[in-house]
Amino acid sequence: MFADGLFMLFAVLAVLGAAGLVLFRHPMNGAMSFVITLISLAGLYALLSAKLIFALQLIVYAGAIMSLIVFIIMFLNIQPEDLPKEEGKLLNILGALIIVAPIGYFLVKIVNRLPNATTELLGNNFGGVKPVGLLLFKDWLVPFEIVSILLLVSLMGALLLAGKKKEVSK
Amino acid sequence: MEHSVTYLGLIPLFPLMGAVLIGLLHVFTCNRRKLPEMLYGLLACVGPVLSFIMALKIFFALKGMPADERFLSQVAFTWFSVGDLHINMGFLADPLSSLMLLFVTLIGSLIHIYSIGYMKGDKNFGKFFSYLNLFLGSMLILVLGDSPVVMFVGWEGVGLCSYLLISFYSDGTDNVLAGNKAFIVNRVGDLGFVLGMSFLFWGIGSHGFDYMSLKANVHHLAPGVALATCLLLFVGATGKSAQIPLYVWLPDAMAGPTPVSALIHAATMVTAGVYMVARFSFLYAHVELAGTIVAWVGILTALLAAIFGMFQEDIKKVLAYSTVSQLGYMFAGVGVAAYSAGIFHVFTHAFFKALLFLGAGSVICALHHEQNIWKMGGLKKKMPKTYITMLIGALALSGCPPFSGFFSKDEILYSALASGHFGIWAVGVLVAGMTAYYTFRMMFVVFHGEPRDQHAYDHAQESPAVMTVPLIILAVGALFAGFLNLPAIFGGDQMVSHWLAPSVTEHHPHTGLFVEIIAIGASVVAFLIGIKAAYSRFGKGAEEPNFSGFADFAYHKFYVDELYDAVIVQPYKRVGAAIWKTIEPNVTDAPVKSVSTLYMLLGSAFKILQVGYVRVYAIYMIIGLSVMSLFLSQTLN
Amino acid sequence: MIHSYLYLSIILFCLGVVGVISRRNVFTVFMSIELMLNSANLAFIAFSRVHESMDGHVLAMMVMAVAAAEAALALAVVILLHKHKSKLDTNVFSLLKG
Repeated sequence: MFADGLFMLFAVLAVLGAAGLVLFRHPMNGAMSFVITLISLAGLYALLSAKLIFALQLIVYAGAIMSLIVFIIMFLNIQPEDLPKEEGKLLNILGALIIVAPIGYFLVKIVNRLPNATTELLGNNFGGVKPVGLLLFKDWLVPFEIVSILLLVSLMGALLLAGKKKEVSK
Repeated sequence: MEHSVTYLGLIPLFPLMGAVLIGLLHVFTCNRRKLPEMLYGLLACVGPVLSFIMALKIFFALKGMPADERFLSQVAFTWFSVGDLHINMGFLADPLSSLMLLFVTLIGSLIHIYSIGYMKGDKNFGKFFSYLNLFLGSMLILVLGDSPVVMFVGWEGVGLCSYLLISFYSDGTDNVLAGNKAFIVNRVGDLGFVLGMSFLFWGIGSHGFDYMSLKANVHHLAPGVALATCLLLFVGATGKSAQIPLYVWLPDAMAGPTPVSALIHAATMVTAGVYMVARFSFLYAHVELAGTIVAWVGILTALLAAIFGMFQEDIKKVLAYSTVSQLGYMFAGVGVAAYSAGIFHVFTHAFFKALLFLGAGSVICALHHEQNIWKMGGLKKKMPKTYITMLIGALALSGCPPFSGFFSKDEILYSALASGHFGIWAVGVLVAGMTAYYTFRMMFVVFHGEPRDQHAYDHAQESPAVMTVPLIILAVGALFAGFLNLPAIFGGDQMVSHWLAPSVTEHHPHTGLFVEIIAIGASVVAFLIGIKAAYSRFGKGAEEPNFSGFADFAYHKFYVDELYDAVIVQPYKRVGAAIWKTIEPNVTDAPVKSVSTLYMLLGSAFKILQVGYVRVYAIYMIIGLSVMSLFLSQTLN
Repeated sequence: MIHSYLYLSIILFCLGVVGVISRRNVFTVFMSIELMLNSANLAFIAFSRVHESMDGHVLAMMVMAVAAAEAALALAVVILLHKHKSKLDTNVFSLLKG
């Protein structure tokens, strides 16, 4: 019962945060409400017995990536007149919802066909650092290395794109 | 019995390699500092001379074999293989082709050497020698090919090179037109050759398409197909060897440099047709009617060309018509199934015609490219070497005993008489007299009498040794080549006829001594009458005559060129223009253009969707997904 | 019950799509993409729980790494955009217009 209550709380917070992200005009407000979504998701991961992912969600996502985004937003010192004038934003969102509705309907139908299962917390160190780490470095070693290369490449790409001031300021 | 060797392919390869090498050198240096002419000259002469040495080697190799096993062959590679047709790039040397090889390479080499002197100072010296080598290489492929298809490669090669060389002085419109004419007229003949080849393949090609297999299977050929094949192949020969009705290109071909004329007339190109008929002797022997037609076309061409030759004023055109006339003799010879006589005339003709052309070139060079005989005269004293050698050539051409032309021409006329073709013989004797007349008309006007153009005469001088030495060698050939086939009546043993016997299918008619004496006597009398007539009119010097009546008609070559132009060329052009102006834009172009218009319209309709915003493309994608989802969710329940 | 988690994942995904196609602010669009990635992560973790295997966890980590890489590059692009055009509008790029 307690877990169900927590789920409801986190779920509502996550949806509200996501809705806020879509609706707020200023990106800073959007980013703040998105942080709420991320933290709620971290709580949901915990409810699903994913201990390591719970920690990573908080540290990497809500912590590192979002602080990077917020930092950039502040770095650019965005004035309200810099923002695009989005007339009829609500109408746009409404139209987008109508377009997306069939996809959601289809996905819901698929989910309904799946067998329902309990989400009782699992013991036995499920989702802990050690078993996930063992899995990662044994069965998923090659994808892991490829992802590390991807990160390196994106690091260099970011340097190349944003780094050279002389060429950029032409 | 197969005698396979590996060096046959080298013979055409030497000149072809020379052509490529000289051509590349010329291409890479023509815009910058020129290479010395001697380098080109030496490079150009190496190929033909090496080929000549190889030809000698082959000749002696064949000579060392028993008479009925005399052939060498080489299959370089399989060229292509389609259905029943398997064509090898194969070469065949038998007595016939080895004889051709010998004089083609010998005379080709001499002409190359002579050209070094003649072309001195020309700005396209390298290009000229590249073409010349290519010409010789093509001719050698033609001679050596072991199947009609390989022969056709050389056949087309010499056609191409004649075009390139006739229009070599490409800054004059007339020269280019003459080259075009030669090429187009040859195309007509080549069509006949290709059709003949197709008929032959259709008939007996499935048993192998080289000469040996064809010869073995010729009796399977239906008579009608055989006749059609013979006549179509002969159309090819009339194109290449300038017979009625396709002879018109050869006189115009004089537009090219004189050594080219010599090469075309003596060693390569025009002899190809005679060689081809002799090569297919097994086929022509199979169909007697075809041979008769060939013989009559030949002898009529000889008559026509002799009439034209009597009234020409350009020294090279006189010689050109004499070539057409002599080719007519050759076809008369091969037509009456005297193949060895025809080929022997090709052989002797190569010597004296090359000699006459090179001599004429020497005269033309000395007079600074003056070709009108009515501007010459009295050159005997100025150019003694040229005079004497040309005199030998003229005597040989006219058929004066014991020069080479006499024996070969007499052999043909005797064969015609002996095989019962009385009409051909009579016309042949008449033409022999006319030949003597126009040849000595030219000789008397050019070398005897008083100079008609004093200024040019004063500046004339004997040509350098590089030009006169080939003349002397050829003169020796023109003098003595006839003795190679000395008939029995003069105590000879007809070496050439015996040599060619394994290659050609012929039968020697046996007639009495009486017939032979009549033939020889008539030829000699015709020669004497001809030379007497020429001497009485031109021997003491004569002025340029004004033609009238029949002479004027003949001077204008019976208006055959104009007739062809009016009947074939102009209507063809009109049809072409009509197609170009009406059918092309309305029938062929219209659908193509409307298709492109349709796509333009479609494109501009769909262009509206391309708004350029990334967001909108995402919307398109999501709409697509939505539609898919709607559809797929129907399948779920 | 596991269906609730999956429904939540679908809702978040759809909201992400709506954000991407309806908004013009680059930051919002970018964060909407992150939202879609997170909804996928949630589905991964949920299925991982159902099957009681931890492969879904590993995949979620991979997605996070990709999101981090994407963040680095996308923010570099945003900085460039702001430097060149002083705007944060996705509609300034219309080079593909036909």
